[in-house]
Amino acid sequence: MGAVPLRKLPPGLWRGLALAAAVAYPWLVNDYWVDVMNFCGIYMLLGLSLNIIVGYAGLFNLGHAAFYAVGAYTTAILSTRFGIPSLWLLPVSALAAAAFAYVISRPIIHLRGDYLCVVTIGFGEIVRIALINNPGGLTGGVNGIIGVPRPDLGLFTVRSVDQYYYFILFFIVLFVWGMGRLERSRIGRAWTCIREDETAAEAMGIDTASLKLLAFVLGAAGAGLAGNIYATKMTLVAPEGFNFWESCVMFCIVVLGGTGSIPGVIVASLGMAALPELFREFARARMLVFGLAMVLMMIFRPQGLWPSAHWRRQVKRESGVTPMPSAGSPAQ
Amino acid sequence: MPRPLPRCGAGGSMEEFVQQLLNGLTVGSGYALVALGYTMVYGVLKLINFAHGDLFMLGTYLAVSMAVSCLGAGLASPWVVLPIIFLTSMGLVGVAGVLIERTAYRPLRGAGHLAPVVSALGAAVVIQNAVMLAYGANYQVFPEGLVPEARWIVAGMNIPVLRVAMLVLSLILMAILYLFIQRTTVGAAIRATSLDHDTARLMGIDINRIIMLVFLIGPALGAASGIMIGLYYRQVYFTMGWIYGLKAFTAAILGGIGNIPGAMVGGMILGLFETLAAGYISSAWKDAFAFVLLIAILVLRPTGLLGERVVEKL
Amino acid sequence: MKKVLAVAVILVLAISLGACAQKPQVKEKPPIKIGVQVPLTGDWAYEGQGMLNGINMLAEQINNAGGLLDGRKIEVIPADDKSDAKEAALAAQKLINSGVIAVVGSYASTLTEASQGLYNDKGIVQITPSSTATKLSEHGYKRFFRTCFLDDRQGLFAAKFIVETLGCKKVGVVHDNTTYAKGLAEWTKKYLEDAGATVVFFDALTPKEKDYSAILTRLKKAEPEAWYYTGYFPEAALLVRQAADVGLKARFVAGNAVNNPEFVKLAGVEYAKGTIVTTEPLPTDLEYPEAKKFLQDYKTKYGEYPGSIWHLMAADAFRLIVEAIRQTNSDDPGKIAEYLHTQLKDFPGITGPILGFDERGDRKGTIHKAYVVNEKGEFVPYGK
Repeated sequence: MGAVPLRKLPPGLWRGLALAAAVAYPWLVNDYWVDVMNFCGIYMLLGLSLNIIVGYAGLFNLGHAAFYAVGAYTTAILSTRFGIPSLWLLPVSALAAAAFAYVISRPIIHLRGDYLCVVTIGFGEIVRIALINNPGGLTGGVNGIIGVPRPDLGLFTVRSVDQYYYFILFFIVLFVWGMGRLERSRIGRAWTCIREDETAAEAMGIDTASLKLLAFVLGAAGAGLAGNIYATKMTLVAPEGFNFWESCVMFCIVVLGGTGSIPGVIVASLGMAALPELFREFARARMLVFGLAMVLMMIFRPQGLWPSAHWRRQVKRESGVTPMPSAGSPAQ
Repeated sequence: MPRPLPRCGAGGSMEEFVQQLLNGLTVGSGYALVALGYTMVYGVLKLINFAHGDLFMLGTYLAVSMAVSCLGAGLASPWVVLPIIFLTSMGLVGVAGVLIERTAYRPLRGAGHLAPVVSALGAAVVIQNAVMLAYGANYQVFPEGLVPEARWIVAGMNIPVLRVAMLVLSLILMAILYLFIQRTTVGAAIRATSLDHDTARLMGIDINRIIMLVFLIGPALGAASGIMIGLYYRQVYFTMGWIYGLKAFTAAILGGIGNIPGAMVGGMILGLFETLAAGYISSAWKDAFAFVLLIAILVLRPTGLLGERVVEKL
Repeated sequence: MKKVLAVAVILVLAISLGACAQKPQVKEKPPIKIGVQVPLTGDWAYEGQGMLNGINMLAEQINNAGGLLDGRKIEVIPADDKSDAKEAALAAQKLINSGVIAVVGSYASTLTEASQGLYNDKGIVQITPSSTATKLSEHGYKRFFRTCFLDDRQGLFAAKFIVETLGCKKVGVVHDNTTYAKGLAEWTKKYLEDAGATVVFFDALTPKEKDYSAILTRLKKAEPEAWYYTGYFPEAALLVRQAADVGLKARFVAGNAVNNPEFVKLAGVEYAKGTIVTTEPLPTDLEYPEAKKFLQDYKTKYGEYPGSIWHLMAADAFRLIVEAIRQTNSDDPGKIAEYLHTQLKDFPGITGPILGFDERGDRKGTIHKAYVVNEKGEFVPYGK
């Protein structure tokens, strides 16, 4: 839709414009909308990290909240128990989530498509139930953990909504930059290859199992980092923040935006965060409208708001040999 | 006023075990009926119909409305009211299933694997909130006196008649479905469609009608399960579909999704396992155990208990 | 064509359902803005909607009578926290931005916890009507109050009641792992043991499920003389029915979240009768004139009596804010908090006299009682 003419601009220009708009945003709106954007920004980080798993490697993950939870709880536990500054825990949380992802995805990495999806749902639920049941008194049960310290940057402590806005924006820019590099790297191309045709990839000598594992580990690290930011922003963590619905939202962000597309994730996060806010006027019917929007969106743009170049090629190719009956009009 | 200690017969642990088995089987039969809807849709469309749990919930709400209006109209005999409830509610939910297929899934065929999942999640949100808006956010209750609340006492065990009836009716429905799929021409067409759309079409099967049929039968069975659950547990809530759906869907995968006997077996096993875990280890951890079981089975048998080992399409 | 059809169907649905929601708004003099942060959607929507209804009604009454502070109207600003902690933080932010001076809310302890720091930073008075977790008032926030009573007091009451009044020495305790229920269960366990009883069973069930026969069968095996359930009424209704089905005959006692006419409706009278609840008094049981008036007005306006005590606690929270504004003749949150802390005494509340608040903002005294469900399915005071 609106994306099409935009794409004709030189990429550097719209990137610059987007960044300028992002930097100017807090001056244009009140605190409430800045804070809405902060939560939206955390979803962007989560969406970008999940994009590595779902978008690049084509692995069906509906349990991303588990990695997010591991990051958030690592920060909360280590900072409240041992007084470790939460900023130092940023890399620690990312590592903890990555290590967790490595351990759990090793045995399941050979599962295909929907089976993998269910197993990730399972892990998500196991993590949530474990957090609720407070093993070893570590996680604080349903109450979660309160009093997570704010990140201290040395010069000042990140506290107000505006400060958090720029703090989160910094990581978004970092993620976008890193992922752009990753996408074009040897690894990124190998992932594309696996996603398009795993058997062929294997035949070409790509170590599919290790690369799929790597996608999980990197994606989890990103989610762990987002978890740290969430924990310090909310100053509390509680199991309900990491339920199955959260995983669904992250998944929707990736697909609605356009699987594998970085600008897509950004646009879709904006949509997922802003739409329910705009619909506040509908009061109780808000979630209904939201659900309808999800369905309509997929009917009219199954390729997502801002599809990646790969995806467009793929659909073009697939639509010729689709095994599906031809009843529905072909996806554009 | 102190009460005498409740008596517990000798050999209580055996009785306890049998009682837990019965508990587990009834829970499992509910999961199995709902799981069938997931598995049938998956079979023909390779799509996880996330809205199925909410269709199940819609079934229970419609049944409550129907029961209340039947009683209001002076019909009180369970022999009249129950068939009305079951048939209309199953029918309406079946139609709702078809409607969802038409609007939310059919336009997405050929649009890859991921888009329909989002559309299905969206449809789930829509049904859930539409029901909340229509009925309000509080619990709905089935009227009393529709079903017998008697209990048999066998060897010191309490066996509620309704639980047994639920189990039997679920098994009958499953048997009918199994025979329908295995023995009739239409059933053969459904099986053929699950295997390969193109070949099925070449054999003269109208794929769209088969898919429609599946979206009629699956939700209708889900509604049947929902009504039984409503009749026994009485209370109905608009978020129940999501919770129940996740379990039933797990059961479908456990048995091997796409495989109809697999869904039945998966449902039963999940129900039993969950109940025994709650009964003997810890109720608070039982769902975690259930998912550990699921993961363990998938690691050992990547396509579920009864799923066939399919070669990935090239 | 198919797509057009699809869209048409969806749009018709959207319009027909979306039309239900409308929001009239009238603007006059600078109003006094009071926020109501409660769950209007999600699992606890029922409680939140009742709270908001009651407060809207009171605000309307005050506005019709000329408002406060020389004719300024009260504007009630609702914020839906959707029964979710993250949304609670956002809802709080929304209210802060709309310039409220005081907030009633939220319902569950997790929701209150996620928002109270934000209000405190902005100096806004917050009164929770129903979040009873002890630690909420341990942050040292000077403008945080509650009109409900803490978990540990109910636990103490329940333990004494079970041991002394019922004379049961072997007790099972079941909770549902929510903040509130788990806290109450742990306090009760502690006080039961202090009172010399043995806790023979302690476990949690998973709320929102339907079948609890497994945990009940195990509870039966532990042979308790009485068992105490600290969770909410829907699960309690399932529990009493299924307890009969597995043949568990121990005395059933439940916490105040079962204190709801819905419990009897969901369980059926035959099963509900004999259930004892430890609770604040029931809405329709309150003898105070304020309560009688509120209930009558509520019934006239909404067609039914408020279903839970928490709706009245919310109304009281709102009335306290109004009272403080009147007495201090100011809408300054600092003065309101100061008044509530130091001067407010024996305020005639809907839920009984509000003796005052202690230095942590907790309501003084207690009004817990034991009720039993009688043959007609009504909650009546135990032992009468």
